[in-house]
Amino acid sequence: MALPLPLGLTHSEVAFVAEMELVTVVPRQRLESIDLLSGKTPPLRPPHRADLPLWLALLLKKQRRANIVPPPWLHPASLADIVHRETKVHPHAFSEPMPTASRARQSQPGYAGRIGGGDSSEVILSPPFRSNCTSAAPAGYLPYHWLEVAEVLITHASDDLGGNTSEIRGLLRDLVEVRAAKMRDSAETLGAEGQGGVVSLRGVGAMELAENRGFVLGVVDGVRKIGGAVETARREKEEEMDLGGGDGGRGGYGGDGDSDDDMGI
Amino acid sequence: MPYYDIDSILTDAEKIPCTFQLDIPDLGYLDNTPNQPLKAGTKVNLPLWLAEMLVIANTGGPDNKTFVTFDLPRALGNDVIQALKADPRAVPLRDQSAHFYGLATHMMDLSEEQELGSVLRKTFVTRAAEISLHARKVGGVSTKGKGKEEGSNLGIGGAGEEFLRGLDEWERKLFRKAHDGAKSGKEWMDSIKKN
Repeated sequence: MALPLPLGLTHSEVAFVAEMELVTVVPRQRLESIDLLSGKTPPLRPPHRADLPLWLALLLKKQRRANIVPPPWLHPASLADIVHRETKVHPHAFSEPMPTASRARQSQPGYAGRIGGGDSSEVILSPPFRSNCTSAAPAGYLPYHWLEVAEVLITHASDDLGGNTSEIRGLLRDLVEVRAAKMRDSAETLGAEGQGGVVSLRGVGAMELAENRGFVLGVVDGVRKIGGAVETARREKEEEMDLGGGDGGRGGYGGDGDSDDDMGI
Repeated sequence: MPYYDIDSILTDAEKIPCTFQLDIPDLGYLDNTPNQPLKAGTKVNLPLWLAEMLVIANTGGPDNKTFVTFDLPRALGNDVIQALKADPRAVPLRDQSAHFYGLATHMMDLSEEQELGSVLRKTFVTRAAEISLHARKVGGVSTKGKGKEEGSNLGIGGAGEEFLRGLDEWERKLFRKAHDGAKSGKEWMDSIKKN
């Protein structure tokens, strides 16, 4: 009532944040390094690829100064693979989030480590700074901002996507629908007895969270209110039993029993 | 829950059937017999806020009786619960009570009905999934979030509208939230194409 704004980020805010993702571009013109708040951009030398923030890449794209290299996961084959996994292999879970970038260790054959894992100054973990949407990203996984980046690239850089925009668009629609259905079903598992009412949202994208936040929170809140009466009754009963047992053994130390309970919770 | 929560106030006004346990002078008008005492054993429908107090308090007499005993209102009666067990989606909860869940949680506070709790929980989540489905499908960009007044564009005909009409207040709020989410998602999609 006091705050008309909904909880969490709205769609446009999520889309704004997503523009911080790095994408790979192939420049057509030379451009010196720009000193941005987020750090210096790499200098652009025409035949060489470079990683730029999405907003800058889009700007250059609109001015025809650069072409965007689509991330590998946006390839139709990769998307089809993900759709297959979401529908056939794991019909009840969201597909895995993108793994942390890793590389085979040369010192220990057969083992792999995070890139920069040994050197703490170089650990790159959180989404805007991980190159999830550059051409170096692995195929077959969806990054956190998959829907936003994909939609923007389809709309503004469709000629860079290899001419099968409609196929990509169709696959994206499939993904959105499949995952929305899972989000709906997750509401039903919330009510199952003895599950503790926890749903795993691992692998869910930012835009999907923005869309379903209100609904999921509403369901959780409703279940909590319905279960509240039963829960209080159960807790009271347990407390009574505790106190009853305590009276026999510990005499007047009933108060101690209470504080132990609180610690347990 | 805020003090001026209108839904909570309206829930408190729901009537539940109570039986008086003792004679009370000058309250006969509650049973359409003015100028006479209200007899013990008379059944009167009392609003929830009053009944709650009378059920909890006791008369202080030697037998420690409470003023009234109450039954579950018809909205939570056996036939409704059985119908909910059979198919939660098929029961128009609004016809039972506009504040069905609010009433039910209040009643569960007062009486320990284990079964009622689990039936309600199942009902709520099953219907929530259905609500979410409708919220995504209904209407395009609609005015004031009242999507349910507009016809659907994806072939959900009369059955869907019938279901939406049967939502109680909690479920309407949920529908509103789900619909707002889906709607702003659509608006965002459209906004990409513009700039």
